[in-house]
Formats: sequence, C-alpha cells, structure tokens
Amino acid sequence: MHNVWTLIQREYLERVRSRSFVIFTLLMPAFMAGSVLIPAKIEEMNSGGERRIVIVANNPQLAMAVDQELKAPKPKSTLSAEAGAPPVYVIQVDTNSTDAERDRLDEQVSDGRINGFLWLTDDALANHEVTYSTKEAADFHQSGELRNAIRTAVTKRRLEQKGMSGAEADALLTPIVLNTVRIEKGKEGSSGTTVFLTAFAMVMLLYLVVLIYGVSVMRSVVEEKNTRILEVLLSSVTAKELLAGKILGVGAVGLTQILVWVIFATLFSVPGLLSAKSFLGEVHIPPAGMAAFAIFFLLGYLLYSSMYAAIGSMVNTDHEAQQMQWPAMIPIILAVFLMNAVIQHPNSPLAFWLSIFPFFAPILMLVRILVVQPPLWQIALCIAIMVATVYGLLALASRIYRIGILMYGKRPTLPELRRWLRYAG
Amino acid sequence: MADVVELRGIRKSYDHFVAVDNLSLAIRAGGVYGLLGPNGAGKTSTIRMMIGITMPDEGEVRLFGEPFHRGLLHRVGYLPEERGLYKRMKVLDHLVFLGRLHNLSEQEARKRSLAWCERMQISDWTHKKVEELSKGMQQKIQFVAALLHDPELVIMDEPFAGLDPANSVMLKDVLIELKRAGKTILFSTHRMDQVERLCDAICLIDHGHAILEGDLKKIKASYGKNHVQMQYEGDPRLENCDLVESFNNYGNYVELRLKPGADAQQLLRMAVDHARISRFELLEPSLEEIFIDQVGKHA
Repeated sequence: MHNVWTLIQREYLERVRSRSFVIFTLLMPAFMAGSVLIPAKIEEMNSGGERRIVIVANNPQLAMAVDQELKAPKPKSTLSAEAGAPPVYVIQVDTNSTDAERDRLDEQVSDGRINGFLWLTDDALANHEVTYSTKEAADFHQSGELRNAIRTAVTKRRLEQKGMSGAEADALLTPIVLNTVRIEKGKEGSSGTTVFLTAFAMVMLLYLVVLIYGVSVMRSVVEEKNTRILEVLLSSVTAKELLAGKILGVGAVGLTQILVWVIFATLFSVPGLLSAKSFLGEVHIPPAGMAAFAIFFLLGYLLYSSMYAAIGSMVNTDHEAQQMQWPAMIPIILAVFLMNAVIQHPNSPLAFWLSIFPFFAPILMLVRILVVQPPLWQIALCIAIMVATVYGLLALASRIYRIGILMYGKRPTLPELRRWLRYAG
Repeated sequence: MADVVELRGIRKSYDHFVAVDNLSLAIRAGGVYGLLGPNGAGKTSTIRMMIGITMPDEGEVRLFGEPFHRGLLHRVGYLPEERGLYKRMKVLDHLVFLGRLHNLSEQEARKRSLAWCERMQISDWTHKKVEELSKGMQQKIQFVAALLHDPELVIMDEPFAGLDPANSVMLKDVLIELKRAGKTILFSTHRMDQVERLCDAICLIDHGHAILEGDLKKIKASYGKNHVQMQYEGDPRLENCDLVESFNNYGNYVELRLKPGADAQQLLRMAVDHARISRFELLEPSLEEIFIDQVGKHA
C-alpha cells in the first residue's frame, strides 16, 4: 500500500505540475465561456439595432398589417430565447411590384441602405410563396419572426374577409405556448429542455475526461516502456502495484481537472445562469444526478483506463498505440451515438439492455438516470455488472501488463497474448 | 554463513526457447561475483529471476538463506541492463521517488541522494530535468538509485556497458568501496578483463547452462601454469612444435599454451637455439582463454 501511495503521488504531482495540464485546465473554461459568451454578445449587438425593411405589396393594407404584427409585443415562449432588446423594425411600404423596382431594391440591399425587402405581391400570395431578400441569410430568428408576422396578418385578413371581426380573429390566432415539465418523485421538477441539456453536458464531460485520461494512462505505460524505467521499478514494486498507482494517480488528475472546471463553471455561471433562466427555467442538477455522475465517472474511467493500460503494455511506440486505441474507443463513441435514442425512449427494453452493457453503461445509464430515474434495481444491477467487469479487466490488464512491459520488439499476436496470460499465472 | 544468493536448478523457457536450463550457483557474502557469458547466454534471464521480475519454471531461488519473497528485495539494489529514468522528472525528485519505493522516508531519501550526488560529482545537476543530462550522467544517477537504500546485495547487469573510461574507474572504485564495507556484489558482463580484475568468484554461462562456477583463483589454478608468454628477437620456430597446443602472436610478444604434460623447460631450450629470448614467463591462463576453451568444448 505504501508503494501504491508513492506511485500515485509521483503520477499525480508530475502531471499536475506540468505546463500542459495547467494550460489545458485553464484554457478549457475560457474556451467554453468564449463559445457561449461571444455568440450571445454578437446576438446582442445585432438585435438591439434598427431593421429597415421594405414590404412590396399590391395591397398596402396587408403590408400595414404585417408591419403591425412585427411591432406587436410578443409573448415570451421557450423558443424566443434571447438576451438583449428585440430589434426595432422600420417598415416602408412599396406598391410598385415591377421587375425594375425589384432590381432597385436588390441594389439597396447590396448597398446596405435597407436590411431586406419582402415580396408580398398578390401573385406571391396566390402561390403561397413569399420571398424575403436579405444579405443576412443566416438570421433564422428574424426570418422566423417575419414568417409568423406574415402568416398572422394574412390569416387574419382572410378571416376578416369571411366576416369575422378583428377581435374575434385575434382571439383565434393567439398562439399556445408549450412548456414541458418533468415529474420527479411526484413533484414537478425542471423543464425537459433543462434535463436534456444537463444530461448532454454531463455525458460529454464524462466522455471527454474518460477518453483523455484513459488514453493518458496508455501513453504513460508506453512511455515507461520506451524509457526502460520499468525494470528499475519492478525491482521494488509489483506490476499490480504499478498499474494501480498509475490508474489511480491519473484518475486523481482527472478529478482535479473536473473540480477546477466545476469551480470555474459555478463562478462563471452565476451571471450566465441568471440570463439563461429566462429560457431554461430553473437549472438544477438533482443531487442523485451528481452522485450518479461521480459513480459512473469512476467506474467508466477504471474500465477504460485498465483497457488502455493493457493496450499500452502490448505496444512499443506511441504510433502503434494510436492505431490500437481506436478499437477501444468504439464502444464509448457508439454509446454517445445511442444516447439520443435512449433519451427519447428511456424506458424501452432496448434502452434498458443497452444501458446495463458495461462498456455503454457510464454514458447510457447516466443518461437514463438523469432523464427518467429508472428503477433502483436496474441501477444496482448495472453498477454490479460494471464493478465485476472492472475487476475482471483489471486482473486481465495486470497480467498482460506484467508480461508486456518487459517485452520489447514486435507486437504480440492473439495466440501470443494468450500465452502471456498463461506465463503471468 | 548462508549464501547471499543461491540458485538451485532453475529453468526458464519462453515458448520453445530455453533461456536458462538447470542452472545452480551460490554467491557467498562479501565478495564480488561475476556472471560471465557471451551475448544471449541467459545472464539477464538469470538475474531477472533472482529479483523476482520473472519466476523460474523450475528450481528454487534463495536470497539471504531464505526462499525468495518480495520482502527481501529491500535488501537488494538492482541496476538493470535496460536502463531508464523518467525523462521529465528532476534528478533529485527522481532519486527521492526511487528511494521511497525502497521504504526510505522522504527526508532520508533526499539526504542520501544529495550525499551520493556529491560523491558521483553530479551535485550541480540535481535540479535539472533528467532529459537535460548526458548519457553518462544519467547512468551515474542510476547507480545512485540502485545504492540509495544501502542494500546488502548489489546486482548490476552489464554495469560498465557504455561508460567512458573515467566513469568506469569511478564505478569500479565505488564497487571496491562497497566490497570493503562488506556488501555482496554481483555483476554480469561479457568483458573478461573486468572480471579478472574485480571478481572473487565467477559463473560462466553459455546457452543457459553454467559451464564453470566457483572461486576464480581455484578455477585458474586448476588449469595449471601451462601458459607461456615470451618476447624474443629472431624466429624461435615454435608454431608447429609438438609441445605447443596453441600459439597466439600479439606482435610485441607471443602467448602459447603447452600441450598437457609438456615441459616448459624443454620449450625454452628449443627456443634458445633459434632466437634471443628477452622474456620467458610461465602463467596461469587468462580468463579469456578459459572462456574460449570452455565455450568451445560445450559448443
């Protein structure tokens, strides 16, 4: 035990002190913050401004109606998630629908004198196809707003033509907002979107950390083989101790990194969450979810890192290791692909079987726990299977490790590997 | 007193290749023991079994009079043939780490590391990273690492390989110092001159077998003084003489081996007839000759 502790310490301190660890740990939150904040900032800069739009219509009344709809205050729905003020529309009505006028407007858009023009002629309406010409084609939010405004204005006008009063038409056309609420132990919990986003974020974090540190274990085994330090170490510690020290030490580095990120995320998200609240509702991760994350992180890490350690001891160079690491990655990547299906039907038998498969479990069972809270026996069964798998893999890995680390030269073939397992006994 | 290392009929095979076969040897306390043999003879395999890195398929390994168990390893210092250090670790941190794996406290490991670094003239480098050091200096660090916990038995696999003459001398001095302090030293090599100068006892291994084992002086004595070194002017015409078994001309002098039962005085008389003899010396065979003789016999 004393030896394992010394090995863990070395593994941990050497890594945490390294420049690359410090840089990666600090850059990641900066990158994440940047990827959230910068688009939000750009959105904010765009949204507050004026939108100069020309509406070309044979019927000026219809154009005015669209203008009104655009300027009307909109109810906050979950979809119009937006920080910052809504844009101010400056609408100009144009009844000239000749081709020459269209060319002139095209020019104005190109020059930036107007943001765009709407081709709302009677012909267009008869074809049920209206065109909005703009340079800012990617602005989905604005085109959504325009579509809604046109649809409402046109429908209202048609209803009025059928003899309905303006107030009646308004009442008919008031949109319904759908809020999804998740039931947790008979109580209303956070919204479905929140759960999805939380699950997604946690699973991605798990995936990232398990892969990064699993691979890191592999690389350090390869490095020890290459630097030929192993024999020195083996004269005072056993291969098992060496493997345990490595896996636990590297795992502790991973935990440290997550901890730093969580602290950053909490600091950063206090202002961030306040603005996000408007569309996400209350973001809170249930404590059970946190516990599940911790358990599945540890088990997932142990599972994959012992597999990677075994791979590392079979190969001689980083290059070979990279070729061999792909097969080991497939299950976890597959699990990420399957995640969506499991989120959609978390209680289906397929989801159950997939989620108790030990190589998928760290991702898929975690997702199920976050989304639906499966029965306790399923969670217990899954954890038991994982623990057993981890134990088996560790035993196997330490045998391969014991022989493999002293073997230099050619990579073993499968029958050779079987023989290694026999020697180690 | 019990032997420090005793191997009883050990055997190790990998697949169909037998690395060590029915090898027995005993190493007495307080001497320098040489494990000799051509490349691929099984020296490293034998050493690995002595310190439990691999287990023999058959036979028994005993250390300090007890059957092998890992608890005994803290009394052993080991320098493997495949040497290496963590490249990015600082020298002192590295030594302390290795010392701690041998049950030293951090303080004690630090104190001893610094003292050893001074002795090996690498004090200025203790705060550098291993990768910044020259190969020779890295080797010195590894010697220090093997000796840090003051082991009773020091096992070194090809310790002189790759050392420049100055460092070789330094290592030799350290080994002699350890011997004086009553430690037991075992080293493997294929260089006979080192064994001849340093060792009290040897084991000559070839193809996994021990073909000669025991006290160096006794081994040499058993061969008798049947070797002649001579210097002369002229041609003594001894090459095809029926007293001589083998003849080796080194340029400045010749060395020849007498046939069993041949009389050295008769040889001298024959030589005097043809040449002016300036030196005629009767010798024990050199280890190199014994080695070639033995390996030849068993080939």
